[in-house]
Amino acid sequence: MRISIDAVGVLAPGLPDWETAKTVLAERSGYIAAPLEAPQPACLAAAERRRSSPTVRLAIAVVEQALQQTALAPPDMAMVFSSYEAAGLITHQLCEVLAGSREVSPTQFHNSVHNAPSGYYSIAMNARRAGSSVCRGEWSFAAGLLNAVVQVVAENAPVLYVCYDSPLPSPMCEVMPVLESTAIALVLTPAGGPSSLATWDVAIAPCKGAVAWQNWVPFLWYANASARGFAALELLANPGCRAAALPLSPELNLEVKRC
Amino acid sequence: MSTLAISAYTASSAAGVGKAAVARALHEGRSGLTPNDLDWAPLPCWIGHIRSLNGDQEVEIPQSLREFDCRNNRLALLALEQDGFVTAVGRARERFGSARVGVFIGTSTSGILSTEIAYQHRDAQSGRLPTDYRYETTHNLDATTEFVRKVLGLTGPAMTISTACSSSAKVFCLAERFIRLGLIDAAVVGGVDSLCHTTLYGFNSLQLVSPDVCRPFDIARRGLSIGEAAGFALLEKSSSSASLQLQGYGETSDAHHMSTPHPEGEGAQRAMLDALDRAGLTPKDIDYLNLHGTATLANDRAEGRAVHAVFGGTVACSSTKGFTGHTLGAAGITEAAIALLCMEHDFIPGCPTIQNVDPETHCNIVLKGRSEQVGRVMSNSFGFGGSNCALLFGKVA
Repeated sequence: MRISIDAVGVLAPGLPDWETAKTVLAERSGYIAAPLEAPQPACLAAAERRRSSPTVRLAIAVVEQALQQTALAPPDMAMVFSSYEAAGLITHQLCEVLAGSREVSPTQFHNSVHNAPSGYYSIAMNARRAGSSVCRGEWSFAAGLLNAVVQVVAENAPVLYVCYDSPLPSPMCEVMPVLESTAIALVLTPAGGPSSLATWDVAIAPCKGAVAWQNWVPFLWYANASARGFAALELLANPGCRAAALPLSPELNLEVKRC
Repeated sequence: MSTLAISAYTASSAAGVGKAAVARALHEGRSGLTPNDLDWAPLPCWIGHIRSLNGDQEVEIPQSLREFDCRNNRLALLALEQDGFVTAVGRARERFGSARVGVFIGTSTSGILSTEIAYQHRDAQSGRLPTDYRYETTHNLDATTEFVRKVLGLTGPAMTISTACSSSAKVFCLAERFIRLGLIDAAVVGGVDSLCHTTLYGFNSLQLVSPDVCRPFDIARRGLSIGEAAGFALLEKSSSSASLQLQGYGETSDAHHMSTPHPEGEGAQRAMLDALDRAGLTPKDIDYLNLHGTATLANDRAEGRAVHAVFGGTVACSSTKGFTGHTLGAAGITEAAIALLCMEHDFIPGCPTIQNVDPETHCNIVLKGRSEQVGRVMSNSFGFGGSNCALLFGKVA
């Protein structure tokens, strides 16, 4: 399947934007850890910012970065959101309440759905096309990307793709050790878009052993499904890098090649 | 789009375990809902409860998959074991190869009940969760998808869709695109959602749970009744021998409110129109419309207006949530299976809990089930976050 990349957004500790990420991925500078400032999406009104969860704010903020680089507007794009555990903090808060008073807050409950980030985004941006929210455990980056690429090709229309992980509180982080936020957004278009950064061939292929993490990726991010996406972004930043394998299941990889 | 053959399907809910039991309930107009008697969630409401899930002897998770043991995966297994579904998937696996069959499952809360129970048993000193608690294989949204994939021995692309109450309708659309592009030859689609504290107390906090049995489109409706359900369908490229087909679908977003639909059902209208458009059909081609019909005032009013805008007031409509309850992430597959049963049995189900239709409903609500030729059915599913999906199924002689 051939598609083009129109725009990229990146948020992670030490990688506050795509420009910074590009220098690390191109090996022009080493990765330097630094705290990530709490994302504050501009499109959310103050009340929505307060009501939404940190995961919602992370996902929308990284999308806003990508939107600044493309002529496409949110209403022009279908949406695929993907996360290993989009509701972690909210689930923790809900389960604490449910183990005690059981007096759940209505806002907390509607924030607990996996598609809360896509819902808040769609409302804030008047994005009314199809929206999907994917989970595929540790393979969530590749599965969500595959869903988005299939939609671009099958419908011949642009798709916004975003994958994100945000930290879980104790005791959830002991069973699901996401400790830092990482998020990647991509604007995907049918191949050959006039303003595209690159064109990719994307295919499902048998997996031949575990896929290694890039050397610079901090060990702390190994539980973040979205951090697998940096291997794909390297194709956009590093001229020496022509192909990337993204784990899709125990048996399959998603192979991405630069055309 | 390409028309897909539905070569096997199965569904289990409070209305019945397996297709024959569900069809019987529909024919007899017998609701599966009962007053809530869950000792672990004593809310004054009605529920759609699959009682055979409660005993260990009824559903046994295979030893090799013990780590997946939880209510949601037991429900998935119970449903998979009905109607010869595993055998049908086995034939597709032999024919196409295990890597050419995809698995796409919808759920809203997966096995979150396991985490809720673990939080009731945290260590008093350290706050730690019990040592036998497993997140990955029970609560993670993908846990049931991975379980189903392993039970069926499939290695094709798989993923979980979680868009609240439209989840297991949207998996049909995903499968159609994958098959159309030739990435796979067949797909198992489905949905599984089981009773848990989160949805019972959560919907209750929004004042959407009825103390009475749910009465969709009734003037006296007071909200929804939550149910549990699981169902699956095997989709393949259409062949001449196929009689049941997926012929169209539409997916849209409301962009209106997180937990309330657009008042005119604007997104719902676009989803229904897109489904007709993809199928190359017009509203008059539809014999029966299975409504989302949750029995909340906001949903019913918005959906009624949307249906009227697209179809006028003639198409026969009913909400079958009076039989099953609102099965959330499993509602899409539960009602898709009912749509398929209606075509196989040439039957339009009624609404067993309605007494007086809300006069604001400008739709042709069928109160009592009746036998009638049913060649094409549309099924609506709408979810939190404004996620809408309409599916269009047809029958060829």
